[in-house]
Order: sequence, then structure tokens, then C-alpha cells
Amino acid sequence: MADKNEFETIAIPYLDSVFREAVALCQDRKKAEDLAQATFLKAFERFESFEKGSNCKAWLLTILRNKWVDQLRHKNVVGEVLAIEEEMIAEPQRNGETGWSDCQDLLESFSDEQVIHALKELPYEQRLSLFLIDVEQLSQKDVAEIMDVAVGTVKSRTSRARAILKKTLLSYAKDMGFIRGER
Amino acid sequence: MSHLTDEQLEEVIRGGPLKAGLEHLEHCAECKGRLAEKEALAGRLRSAFATIKPGEGLTERIRQQLNVGPRPLEHAHTIGFFNIRSHRREWSAIAAAAAVLIIGIPLIFYLGKPSSAAAAQAALVKIHENNLSVKHEFYSENDPEKLAEYFKGKLGFSPSMPRPGRGLALRGCCVAHFRGEIVGSYVVDTPEGVMSIVVVTDQPESLGMGGKFERGDWIFWKSYFAKCEMVTVRLGDYSYCAVGEISHKYLTELLVRLLPESQP
Repeated sequence: MADKNEFETIAIPYLDSVFREAVALCQDRKKAEDLAQATFLKAFERFESFEKGSNCKAWLLTILRNKWVDQLRHKNVVGEVLAIEEEMIAEPQRNGETGWSDCQDLLESFSDEQVIHALKELPYEQRLSLFLIDVEQLSQKDVAEIMDVAVGTVKSRTSRARAILKKTLLSYAKDMGFIRGER
Repeated sequence: MSHLTDEQLEEVIRGGPLKAGLEHLEHCAECKGRLAEKEALAGRLRSAFATIKPGEGLTERIRQQLNVGPRPLEHAHTIGFFNIRSHRREWSAIAAAAAVLIIGIPLIFYLGKPSSAAAAQAALVKIHENNLSVKHEFYSENDPEKLAEYFKGKLGFSPSMPRPGRGLALRGCCVAHFRGEIVGSYVVDTPEGVMSIVVVTDQPESLGMGGKFERGDWIFWKSYFAKCEMVTVRLGDYSYCAVGEISHKYLTELLVRLLPESQP
């Protein structure tokens, strides 16, 4: 049986990170709390296999990601749907790319909820890549391990995700009248 | 001169080893602008999540579940519901079975647990889950008087029940084992979900209800276990524990409807 005190000392400090990832993946806060809770219970069950001194945060985030994917599979929504999503959303062209004249100011005009909402509009693989890189500031190698893909895939997903996020926020900005309709 | 690709800029953002890229950036205003834009986006995303924190109770909930272990709900035992029409005929058999269960489920069941409070909460949640399970017999009855009659026969008293209406409807009731005693519980349909009220003799503190708060002249205790929220109030010789996947606030509102207008 794993040592509960040791587990709490090592793992609980990462609750904020685990919860943030759950928020990025789940539709609402309640589901995110449930997912975070389930993640810690699963991690405790597997704690004896955790290599002490290794990256506990990445380990927990991997468990959360797997748990979430399991939930989706259970609902039969993972699989070809994701593949189609990734194929359909082509990387935006750089020619004619919108230059935000006051990028920083424009970004600050969005509420936190709007930014998170825009992130949630991305396909989950891209969303998670961008979240882990930008918010949790993990290395591309760690993200590749968490998502069980090659580092090159993480790079392309992150890049694509950032471009789509920008496009989404631009459409919000137009809707709210922050910028005019031109590109 | 070819500009940096988006993926190369990602490398730069991550501080990756892209010496040639860094040299290019020094001389290319366009790529420098693109990099600044990507960095601003990353920074804004980070700041948006900086305010995201788990609820105060989540850490405690996780700790409670770690205390109980990965399968906390298996420690609770309930006995089934009874059909009111048949229960008179089966009364002696049921009473005998109940007596056997009381003797047969000793308190030692809880003594080995790291936290008897957590085990108590697990048992309360299990009673609620069984109340909703189709596998358990259920005394389906929405008439408070019939439910009261049922409880009187089983427990020797009739617990306080909310008056149906205004979105509330009684669904039925049962008796169950809790800490070696037979206790009663009933189910209420509410606009926010289904809850069980479990009536026990134990004091709220001994149930591990930590969050104490006042509402009018009454004192309430609240807690969480698994997905369920719990609010308890002491009324007479009994603790009324409202359990369900419903907010504390709403559970409290429902319990308030049980209370007499007089002071405790």
C-alpha cells in the first residue's frame, strides 16, 4: 500500500496544475473538480510505480489526460472524430496574416473567461498541447510524453493551435467592436 | 531571405536551440513582430489561467478519499426497502433479519479505518446511492402520512419531513444500517436534483462534518464525500443529514423547511 503521507507531500502541491488542466478539458467547473479528484485517486493507486525524483507534475497531468480520454472513449466520441477535426482545420496561411496593431492592448481587453472559452473551441489535441506549453510551461518533450506523440507533432499542434486561437479571438474582437471587420 | 516558420518561432518561444533563428530575428522586423504576437498570446493565456483555482473543499475531499482508500463506498451496508403492503406479513422475518444484521455487522467494521468520520460519510453516501439504485427494493410513496406510518413501525418514531409542493416531491423511504444501528432515510426530488435525508442519532461532529455555520437560530454542519455534498442539522435527538449532488446552499434551504419555527 502506498504511503498516504508521502503521496500527499509529493502530489497534492500540484493540485492547482491538475485542476487547471481539467478546466481546459472539461465543459464546466464541477466536471473539472471530479476529474481532478479521480486523477489523484488513480495516482495514489499507482504511486508505488512513480519514480521518486522524476517529474511529478508531468506524471499527474499524464494520468489526468489518460483518464479524460478514457471518459471520452466511454462516450464514443474519441477516435475518428479527432482525426477528422485535425485534418479539416488547416494551418492558417501566413500570407496576409493579420497583424494586430496593438496586440497587447487587444488581448488585455478580453476577460479571462473569454480567453479560456476561445481555447476550449480548439480541438482537444491542439488545446492540450497549447495549454501544456503556454500555461504549464512544460517542455515539448514532456508534452510529447504526456500526449503520447512525437515532439514534432507537439510543435505542429502547438503552432496550429496558437494560430487558430488568434483567429478565434479576432472574431470575438470583431463581434465586440474592438476592431473593424477588415483583416 | 526566407522568414522563420511558425514552428521555428515556437522553438524560440520555448527558448529552444535555434541560433540561426535568433540571428535572423535581429534583422527581420516582420518575424520579430510575429514572435512578439505569439509571445503576447502565450502570456495572455497564462494570465487567464492564473486565476483558476480549485474550490476550497477539493483538497479535503481528495484527502478524505485517500483515507478511506480507492473503494470507499464498499464499507457501507444497507438493508433493502420494504413494500408497505407486504411488510406487515413479513414483519417478524424482517425484524429477525435486522437483528441478525445488527449483531452480524459489528463496530469492528469501522475500527480498522484510518478515519471513522470518513467511513461514516462514505456510509451516508452509500445509503443515498442505494436509495437511487434500482437494485434495491424501494418503498415508493409520496404521501408524507404513509411514510410517517412506515417509519413509526420501523424506527419507533416519525422523522420530520418537508411538505411537498413548491418543486419538492417525496419519492419514498427506507431503513438502512449505519454504524450498527438501523436508521431511516427518505428521498426528495427537488428542482436541483435528488437528495436523501438520513436520520441518525450520532452528533454531527462525530460524522466528520467540519464546516459549521449558522442560519437563523440554527446551527448547520457541512461536508463533502465523493461527488456528494452533505449538510446536517440537529433536531431533537436526531441529526438530519441531507446528502446529494446538490450545492450546500440548496441542501441547507431544504433542511430549513424541516425545522420548526421555534428555536432549537
